[in-house]
Amino acid sequence: MSFAQRLSEFLRRLVGSHRPELSPEEAERLTALFRERYDSFRVLLAANGRALEAMAEMEQAYSGTRPYGMDFVVSNATSVAVRVYRMIQHLDVLAPDSYSGLIGRFDEIRGELDEVIHPVIQVIDAPLVLPLSKIRRTDSGIVGAKMANLGEIHNVLGLEVPPGFAITTAAYSRLRDHNDLRPEFHRLIQSTELDRPDALFALSSQLQQLIATAEVPSDVQETMDSALTELLGALNGDAGLAVRSSALGEDTAGTSFAGLYESQLNVHPDNLLETYLEIAASKYTPQAMVYRRQHGLRDIDTEMAVGCMAMVDAVAGGVAYTSDPKDETDRRIRISAAIGLPKAVVDGRFDADLFVVDRDRHAVVKRKIISQKTAFVLRPGEGISRRDVPADIADQPVLTDEQALEIAEIAARLEDHFGSPQDVEWALLADGRVVILQARPMHHAVVHTAAPTIEGTPLASGGVCVSPGAASGRVSWVRSDREALKMPNGAVLVIDYPDPRWAALLDRTAAVVSEHGGIAGHLATVSREFGVPAIFGIGSLDVLRRGDEVTVDADGLAVHKGLLPGLEEDRPRRNLMKDSPIHEMLRRALIHIAPLTLIDPSAPEFRPANVKTLHDITRFCHEKAVREMFAFGKDNEFPRFAAKQLHHNVPMQWWMLNLDDGFTEDIKGKYVHLEEISCAPMHALWDGMVAVPWDGPPAMSGSGLASVLFEATRNPALSTPFKKPYANRNYFMVSKNFMNLQSRFGFHFSTVETLASERDSENYLVFSLKGGAADMERRASRAQFVADILSDKGFSLKVIEDTVTARASALPQERVLELVKIIGYLLMHTRQLDMIMGDQRSIDHYRAKLEEDIATLHRKPTT
Amino acid sequence: MTIKVLLVDDETSFVEALGRRLTLRQFVVHQANDAETAMTRLADNPNIDVVVLDVKMPGTDGLTAIKDIKRKHPMVEVILLSGHANLEASVGGMALGAFDYLLKPVRLDELVYKIEDAHRRKSLQEEKIRTLRGSTPSASDERPE
Repeated sequence: MSFAQRLSEFLRRLVGSHRPELSPEEAERLTALFRERYDSFRVLLAANGRALEAMAEMEQAYSGTRPYGMDFVVSNATSVAVRVYRMIQHLDVLAPDSYSGLIGRFDEIRGELDEVIHPVIQVIDAPLVLPLSKIRRTDSGIVGAKMANLGEIHNVLGLEVPPGFAITTAAYSRLRDHNDLRPEFHRLIQSTELDRPDALFALSSQLQQLIATAEVPSDVQETMDSALTELLGALNGDAGLAVRSSALGEDTAGTSFAGLYESQLNVHPDNLLETYLEIAASKYTPQAMVYRRQHGLRDIDTEMAVGCMAMVDAVAGGVAYTSDPKDETDRRIRISAAIGLPKAVVDGRFDADLFVVDRDRHAVVKRKIISQKTAFVLRPGEGISRRDVPADIADQPVLTDEQALEIAEIAARLEDHFGSPQDVEWALLADGRVVILQARPMHHAVVHTAAPTIEGTPLASGGVCVSPGAASGRVSWVRSDREALKMPNGAVLVIDYPDPRWAALLDRTAAVVSEHGGIAGHLATVSREFGVPAIFGIGSLDVLRRGDEVTVDADGLAVHKGLLPGLEEDRPRRNLMKDSPIHEMLRRALIHIAPLTLIDPSAPEFRPANVKTLHDITRFCHEKAVREMFAFGKDNEFPRFAAKQLHHNVPMQWWMLNLDDGFTEDIKGKYVHLEEISCAPMHALWDGMVAVPWDGPPAMSGSGLASVLFEATRNPALSTPFKKPYANRNYFMVSKNFMNLQSRFGFHFSTVETLASERDSENYLVFSLKGGAADMERRASRAQFVADILSDKGFSLKVIEDTVTARASALPQERVLELVKIIGYLLMHTRQLDMIMGDQRSIDHYRAKLEEDIATLHRKPTT
Repeated sequence: MTIKVLLVDDETSFVEALGRRLTLRQFVVHQANDAETAMTRLADNPNIDVVVLDVKMPGTDGLTAIKDIKRKHPMVEVILLSGHANLEASVGGMALGAFDYLLKPVRLDELVYKIEDAHRRKSLQEEKIRTLRGSTPSASDERPE
C-alpha cells in the first residue's frame, strides 16, 4: 500500500465513512488474492516445518553419538537455508516490501554459513614424490603418518626399514583434479543413502572404478618413473615392490584405519602405475568409508599418499605391541609371530605364536607356541602365495628368545621415541636382521565394567579376547560380500577368520566371534576402536546357526545361548564423533542456524535488523505471516475473509478466520457456530478443552498468593489497564486440516499450530505455552511440569525460562488429532498451575490427576 | 486434474525409473536428458505444468535452463533437484523463480507432494491472472520462442 493510499485509508476511517458493498468483480478479485495469500501461507508454514526439522536433526546429531558425514552437514544446512529463503519469499507475497531488511540479513548469515560448510580447499604445494631418505615425521601432512614414521625410524633412529619412496598427497590431488573427480564424488556421495549396506557397496564400487580408470597426469607419471628407476638402481634392478596406502589420518593416535585401505605385496615394477591407482582407489572401500563416517572425518582429512618400497623376503614376521591392548597399564611387550610374511598375523588369516617380554627384566616371561601349518611366501614373478610348512618346523617356536628380545628392544625404542605405546609390524630376514615395516600408536580398549556372570554351559568358549565387553544379538554368519549385505543391524557377526573387510560391518554389529585370528590383527584393532566386544581364535563355531539368539561374553571368552537384555546400556559405545573434524564443522554451522535470539514478538527488538540466525528468521517470518493473514479481511473490509466470532456457550471470546475450507459453507454474518466449522484439528482441540470440566483455580498457598501479588507490582503486563493487541481474545485460523490458535487465558499465552492431513510426512503439531501470574521461578516450574507430562507422548520438548515448546511431526493424521486433543485438555487444565508450583504435594496431586484424565481422553466422544 | 510433468536429468536411468513411477501415480510424464531437449518438449507441449530439473547437467546446466524456462514459459513451475548440496546454487535457483529446491536422494512421496503443490501454485496464479484480466489464460501467457 502506498503512502497516499494509507493516508486516504486513515482519513476514511477517521471520518467513519464506510465502503460501499463490494461489487462481484471486486469480491472475486479479493477472493483470488486471498487464495494466493493462503497458498503462500501454506508454503511458508511447510517450509518452516521442514527448516525446524532439519535444525532439530542437526542438533540431535551434534549432541548424540550417531555417526554422520560431511554430506549430512552440508545437505541439512543447505536444506535449512533454502527453506528459510522460501519463507522470506512467501512472506513478501503476504506483505510486499514490508520486511525488506530480512533478505539482507539472510544473505549475511548465508555467507557466514557458506564459509563453514564449503571451506576453501588449499592447493597442496609439495613434491609429487619424496624418497624415504628425505622423509621425517613432520612430513606426515604430505606422505601420511605411515611413511612419515618409517622415514623417521630410518633417518633419525637409524633402524632398518625397506628402501623406497612416497607418492605424496599432492600427486593424488593432481590425479583427482586432472580427471575433475571432486564434484562427481561429491554428487555421488550425497545422492547415496549410506546407511543402506547395498547402496554403500554400490557407491564404493563406483568411486573406486572412477579412480582406478583415471588418467594419470604426465608429470605424476614421469616423477614416479624416475623415482622407481632410482630405487631399482639401488637394488641392482632385482626387486619386487611393496605398495602400501599411507593416507592422512591413517596410523595416527586417534585413528588407525588398520587394514582398511589396500596394500599390495611383491608387485612387479612394471605394474607400479596400475597398482598405485588401485591403492589410491581403496580410499573408497566400504570399510574405509564406514570408518571415516564413524570417526567424523571429511574426505579432505584423509587424502591418499602411497608408499612404494622394496619387498622384504621375510622368513618370519608379525606384530609387536608395547603394552596390553586391553590394559594400558600392563607394559609387557607382546610379540605375535608367524612363519613367512607378517601378512599372516595382520590379516588374522593364520594363528600365530605369542611371546610376552618383560622389558624391565629383559626376559621372555610367557610363550604360546602353536602349530603353524601354513605360511605366506613370495611368489616368483609377482604376488604372494600360501605354502605348507614342513612338519618339523611347524611346531617349533617361530622366534628364539634372543630374537624376541631384540624385537622387543626395538619396539621399546620406538615407544620412547614416539612417546606412546606402539603397534609395530616387523620382518625377520634370513640373515637374522630385523626390518621395521610399520609403527603406529596403539589403540587400547575402553575401560568398562565387568560383564555380568552368565550361568550355564556356553555354546562355544576359548580363544582370545581382542576387545572386551559383552553383548547380545542374533547370529549372522558372514563369509562373502553377499552375506555381509544381508547382515541385519545389531547382529552378532560370526566369521571364520578376521578379514579386515568386515570392518565395514562393525558400526552395526553387537559383537564379533571368529574361529581364527589373534589379538594383533587389523580387525582386532578396529573392533577395539569401535568398542565392539570380540573373541578371536575361539575354534569351530559350527554349533552357531544363522538367527540363533546368543550372548557374547568377550571377557569370559564364551558364547552363551539366549539374549541377555540390558547389556547395551551397561556398555555404551565410544563416541567417536566428538571433537572430530565433522563434529566441529557441525558446531560451527549450528552457530549460524540454531540459536533462537528473537523471542518476544511484542518487543521493539523484534525486527529484521536484529535477526542473528536462520532460526530467528523462521520465527520472524512465522509470526508476521500469521498477523498478515488476519489483517487481510480487516484491511480490505471484506467480511468473508475477516475473523468471525464463535457463537457458543463459553465465557471467552473465540474468533475464527477461515483460510480456505475451514467452514462447511460461506458464512455471511459476524458469527459462526461450532457445527459450521469443518476443521478437524480445531474440533479435536475443542474436544480436549471440554472433555473434563475445569475445577477452577487451584487452592493457593500463602506463598503462592504472595508471589502473584509481588509479581503484579513489578510486571506491567499483569496490570489491568495494560492491553496488548489480542489481549482478551483467542484467535483461530482454520482450514479443513490446518489450525493455528493464538490464545490468551489471563496471563497465560499459548499458541497451537497443527497440520493433520493425508500427507503423514508433512503433518506436525507445535504447542507453546508461556507466562503466568506467579514469579519466574514458579512459571518456569510450570513450563517444566507441562513438559514432563508431554515427555512420553512423542513430542520433542524445549523449556526456556517460563516457555515450554512441544513439537511433533511426520505422524499419521489420526495420531496428530489425538495429540491435539491432549493439548486442548492441557490448555484448560494447566492454567494458573504456576501458582502452586512451590508446593510438592500439590504438584504431585495435579500431575496424577492430569495423567489420569489424559489417559481417559481418547474414550471421550468426539464432536 | 491430471498434472503434466517434464523430468529433465542427464541420468537416463534415473529419469526413466522416476517417469515410470510418476506415471503409475497418474501423472502425465515427459522426459528430457538435457536442457535443449527440455526447451523443445516445453515448446511442443504447452500444457506442461511442472518441470523437475536437475541442476548439474552437461551442456546447459539447470540454473541457466531455469532462466530460459521462466522467460519463455513464466507460468510453468520448476522444481530443482540436485545431487550436489550447494548454498549459493540452491538459493540462487530459488531467486531465479524455482518453486523449490530438493536434494537427491529424494523420497518419491516428497517429490509427488512438491509437484502437487507446484501445480496448485500454478493454478492459483492462473486464476489470479484470469480474475485480474477478466479473461482466461491461454497460449498468450506463453511467450514466443
